[in-house]
Amino acid sequence: MGLRGRLLFILFIMCLTLGMERSRLIYASDRPERPARPEQALAIVVNRANPVENLSSAELRKIFMGTRGQWPNGRRITVAMLDYGQSERKAILRQVYRMDEDAYREHFLKEVYRGDVFAAPKTLSSAVVMRKFVFNAPGAIGYLRASDVDDSVKVLRIDGHLPEDRDYSLLIDEPL
Amino acid sequence: MNAQLSTLRMRAAEVGRAALHASARNLVSTGSSSVLLFLVLVIEFGVGLVIIQDLHSSYSEVEEIYGSSVRGLHRIGELEYDTQETRRTTLYALTTSDGNLQVSYADQSREADRRVTEGIGDYLAHAQTPQEGAVGRRLWNDWSAYLAVRDEVLGRILEADTQKAIDIDLSLGVPRFQQVHQDLDEIKRLYDQQASERLGTVAAFSRRSVIKLTAALGFGLLFGSIAIWAIQQMRMRSAVQLARLQMDFVAAVSHELRTPLTAVLSAGENIRDGLVCEGSGLREQGSIITSQASHLAELVDQVLLYAAIGRDKPWHEARPIRVSDVVESALGEVAFLLKGAGFTVKQEIPPDLPLVDGDLPVLSRCLQNLLVNAVKYSGGSRAITISARKDDAPDNGPGVQISVQDHGIGIAAADLAHVFEPFFRSPREVASQIRGTGLGLSIAKRGAEASGGRLTVVSQEGVGSIFTIHLPGSTLAEKNGTTAPKDPAFGRMAS
Repeated sequence: MGLRGRLLFILFIMCLTLGMERSRLIYASDRPERPARPEQALAIVVNRANPVENLSSAELRKIFMGTRGQWPNGRRITVAMLDYGQSERKAILRQVYRMDEDAYREHFLKEVYRGDVFAAPKTLSSAVVMRKFVFNAPGAIGYLRASDVDDSVKVLRIDGHLPEDRDYSLLIDEPL
Repeated sequence: MNAQLSTLRMRAAEVGRAALHASARNLVSTGSSSVLLFLVLVIEFGVGLVIIQDLHSSYSEVEEIYGSSVRGLHRIGELEYDTQETRRTTLYALTTSDGNLQVSYADQSREADRRVTEGIGDYLAHAQTPQEGAVGRRLWNDWSAYLAVRDEVLGRILEADTQKAIDIDLSLGVPRFQQVHQDLDEIKRLYDQQASERLGTVAAFSRRSVIKLTAALGFGLLFGSIAIWAIQQMRMRSAVQLARLQMDFVAAVSHELRTPLTAVLSAGENIRDGLVCEGSGLREQGSIITSQASHLAELVDQVLLYAAIGRDKPWHEARPIRVSDVVESALGEVAFLLKGAGFTVKQEIPPDLPLVDGDLPVLSRCLQNLLVNAVKYSGGSRAITISARKDDAPDNGPGVQISVQDHGIGIAAADLAHVFEPFFRSPREVASQIRGTGLGLSIAKRGAEASGGRLTVVSQEGVGSIFTIHLPGSTLAEKNGTTAPKDPAFGRMAS
């Protein structure tokens, strides 16, 4: 094995190591732990007129990805996202989209361009605006820290669990 | 001569009566006019108060109407603005795809619709007529229907379904919004109608107030003028009457003076011209002169005294005096007359009489005149009684009554009311040729009144007369601590 062969081998080993590390990180984040405090749970909220009470993780992903466009009552689904850099957005990107910001942006550019998605998710500046948006739009779905939820919106069960449940899976890593 | 004298005396008496009657009439007329003027002023004042109250009520009513209209229109204006704001901000959300801005517009729209809803609720709560209530409820229902559409439009906008939002707004939102504005216009019309009705009422009220004011002013002007005219007339008439009375009085007194003067002059000429030189004729002329001169002196004295006590200002100095002193003084002055005519005077003067306030000469003169009267009109009787007693009239307090009683010819009932009038002489006296000026009783009456008392008479024709001086007890003595001494004259007979 010459020098070139050795260098390629070292590069291969490094890539392998990095890939394994990445897989380990994703695996770790996919394993939710019991929320220590309510503000660490990420609640999925919809308009109070929305008849849906429960979604599976897969359905939630489809909705957020835009591959499912309507609620059972025929109302168009409008996804609302918080602005860039916010911890709730990071948690959704990581746990629901399983994408980073670039992949998320690229995904919707393609989907909207192809016409498979009616519109990209609405980007809102704060949790308060998110709550008001969901309150005003009957077909809206968004997310809030559990501590930011009030009666103006409805919290959905995810895989049968509410944010305050022990086995609730959507958690925010960064503290408030 | 005597007949002429009697005629003059009658004339003088008429003058006196006329003066009294005129004075009384003037007093009554002037008083009535003053009362009328006072009543006019009182009525004017009362009507003025009522009119002021009316005007104040009208002003308050207009102010309330104005305030109510302004408040109502302001409220409706606010409602109109907020309904427009609700719709306007909803439509603003259409103009952007920014979710944050859209939420902000939605917030503004909901805030405006909250104000509208509160305003309609307030209007309903204060609705006073069934019509207002009906319009208010209709507005509430139409507004609720519009809000349902507004919510749907907002939802569609936020969901980026702009076309659907516009379709819904045009098909449902616009008509329902117009319905809301029709309701608001209806409410404005109701406000205008109510304000017009109330203004009409106030206008009628004001017209009535103006009529009342005009009537009151006219009434006041008319009756005030009448009252003032009447007062002026009375004053003028009174002045004329007074002047006439003064002239009549002077003429009568002049006539009374001229008669004895003529007799004296005539007797003097008879003696001067030698028509009567000696004997009984001369004595007769001398007697005429003496008699007429005496009558003349008496007349002058009476007139002077009458004039003196007729003045308004005090003409004597009052002090506490004893009744016995008054009686003694009077009897002393007329003793020669009583003795000459052979009269017996019986005195019944208790020793414990209270003192009276007065001027001794005045009261003495008063009593003298009563005694002279008794002598003149005693007929064949030669007995006169002077009595005094306490007068415990409850209203005047303790006082004294001094009476002079004769048993003579008495006074006719028809003459009783006139005996105290100046110059009054009854026809019977004239016919009987009883001499006098007609001023004696008038002077006595004034003297009694000047001492704070009064003079009364009780008489029966053919039986006699009792003249009584009523005097109040002395107040000066009470102040000075003076008491009445025992009077030794009680029961004394004088002749």
